[in-house]
Amino acid sequence: MSTTPADVLIIGAGATGALAALVLARAGLDVVCLEQGGWVEAGDHPHYSSDWSWQRKTRWNADVNKRHHVDDYAVRTDASHVLMWNGVGGSTNVYGAIWPRYRPSDFRKGDEHGLQPNWPISYEDLAPYYDRSDRLIGTSGLSGDPGMPPRPPSPTGPLPFTDAARVLAGAFDTLGWHWWPAEAAVISEDYDGRPACNGCGVCSGCARGSMSKYSLSIWPKALAAGARLRIQARVLRVEKGRDGRATGAVFRDRVTGAMEFQPARIVILAGNGVGTPRLLLASDNLANSSDQVGRNLLHHTLTACEFWVDRKIDGHMGYVASMISREFAETDIARGFVNGFQFNCLTSTSSAGEIAAGWLADVKAPWGRGHHAWFERRFGHNLGLFAIGDDLPNPENRVSLDPEQRDEEGAPVARLHYRPGENDRRMMAFQLDRLVDVAKAAGAYDYRLQDYLDENGVYRTPAWHMIGTCRMGGDPETSVVNKWHQSWDVPNLFIVDGSALATGGVVNPTSTISALALRAAEHIRDNFRELSATTRPRAA
Amino acid sequence: MTATETAKLLAALVDTLLPGDTGWPTGATVGVQAPLAARLVQERGEDALDRLVAALGDDAAALLNGDEAARVAALTAWEARDQDLFGFVRDAAYMAYYENPVIVQAINEHGHPYRLVPHVAGYKLARFDLARDTPRHGRGAWIRTEAVQRVAVETLHLDDERTQNWGRKQ
Repeated sequence: MSTTPADVLIIGAGATGALAALVLARAGLDVVCLEQGGWVEAGDHPHYSSDWSWQRKTRWNADVNKRHHVDDYAVRTDASHVLMWNGVGGSTNVYGAIWPRYRPSDFRKGDEHGLQPNWPISYEDLAPYYDRSDRLIGTSGLSGDPGMPPRPPSPTGPLPFTDAARVLAGAFDTLGWHWWPAEAAVISEDYDGRPACNGCGVCSGCARGSMSKYSLSIWPKALAAGARLRIQARVLRVEKGRDGRATGAVFRDRVTGAMEFQPARIVILAGNGVGTPRLLLASDNLANSSDQVGRNLLHHTLTACEFWVDRKIDGHMGYVASMISREFAETDIARGFVNGFQFNCLTSTSSAGEIAAGWLADVKAPWGRGHHAWFERRFGHNLGLFAIGDDLPNPENRVSLDPEQRDEEGAPVARLHYRPGENDRRMMAFQLDRLVDVAKAAGAYDYRLQDYLDENGVYRTPAWHMIGTCRMGGDPETSVVNKWHQSWDVPNLFIVDGSALATGGVVNPTSTISALALRAAEHIRDNFRELSATTRPRAA
Repeated sequence: MTATETAKLLAALVDTLLPGDTGWPTGATVGVQAPLAARLVQERGEDALDRLVAALGDDAAALLNGDEAARVAALTAWEARDQDLFGFVRDAAYMAYYENPVIVQAINEHGHPYRLVPHVAGYKLARFDLARDTPRHGRGAWIRTEAVQRVAVETLHLDDERTQNWGRKQ
């Protein structure tokens, strides 16, 4: 066992753990990060194999329950597909890096309708951190969107505007709806020692690092600044002392099998919206006087449409996302629900095999005579888009611990339950109608919808986004952490991953999660002396 | 069934799924049966081939010895009674077919700049042209923090769980 306390212990080496390590190590603090997985090298990715599209259905599947990777932990789910990666860089190893920001109203849903809480911070509080994290991470986009607050230019300009994007833009123009070129954590020019996107379209993570994989974009800087990263170290519990402060974490070295203890003055949890509540619940219900740990799991409402046009657009080329539309991003109760959604317009799948075997809407080519005529009509003519919206919190949608089943480490298995509520279902019904509008406006000769309902009517969302399970707030009765991500109960314990988000917004959350982590880390850096000794949380 | 018969069965199976067309070789011609067999074992277990043969039952003979009409009838019957395994075989065969370098060549010959391993060299795309590609529509709005207003949420009656049948199957 180690007896020398680190200044800061970070649990999890994904996006937020990386950013926290960078900020705190650069400040000269002794930073130790424990990561249960390992490094994911370029050669581990499927990108350099001819069977890359099969691999992303199997060993590179983003769903932990489909790929069965040795670094994963078990998650039992009754509905959601559980998409994450356990390793250095976390889920940025497999994500798509669509990079829109939250809107100002996303932080004020308590004022707007009261079915969600207000955040204890505002968009304006976070905006500078969006800008700075974008520069650290490397992003692309076009400023000047009239559907969003003004912002500085992205570090690199927008990605190529493909023929697929032109078809979609034309459809939205026909409808008179907003659209804007997609923002992405993908660099359109060489940046920070990494090569520009080459438009390969694979976009299930990026082995060359053009898509910001934090093990390539952030961790090298954090290590150079002195952060110590220990891989294959699975944390089993966080310990607390008599003074109410976290003392460190018990972990198993997965190489030697030894149980060890890493003491620390400050503990930061960065284990994602499943891993962090799982760890707190397994640590004798730590930091959970509010009974909110694990609750209010948010995935977003999600529906999709795949359609085919006569024009040859070869949408397999280029970054997977082409543009976004914020036409329905704000609440309009005339639609019959609160909150909004946006369209994430894709190009197409980059895989000819997926065109035949099923992509967004799982439409499959016929077998036998007629297969190739079908393929010739569909390949190069395919487009897809998602509608992604702000789901309402429900305390019964949650991460919990299985009372009986334990994993090979002896830790309780995480259980995940999610069911969309009435407002969410109304929104998704509306989304599906609007998706049809887009397909028709694009002149589609065929379209198919994806509602993610299984044959029994269970909504099985591909839950890329797992947020809200240790939400921040201004009231210790209804939230787990305060506006600085500091536990209300354990004053030297911080939660910087997506579980701290109070609402989901209408967007992919990693840009917001990253900006929040940067803000929290700088707060810890600037108040380290006080935080390393206090036995009381700061005021909300 | 002997190993030789199993090999012939798999070849007949993929040729029935992917019989080829003008400019498109058949499935067995490009060897789809080999990755199909490997993927069956990888994803469904070591006895997956035995279970495939068992699942085909009497239809295996038609696949091995019948003409095209008989083979199509055999697969149609199998598809109807075992959608899970049939679906896996069909999808795995499709994926293996389009991952084959000869088929990528066929895609290219049909006028599409498609690569077998696109990540290596990527696709050449024109850069975003600010003058040409920047949206000029002027549409879009957002609400300032201080301008967020209360909506009449009570008029929505969200406590009524009435939206049960929704989605494409409603």
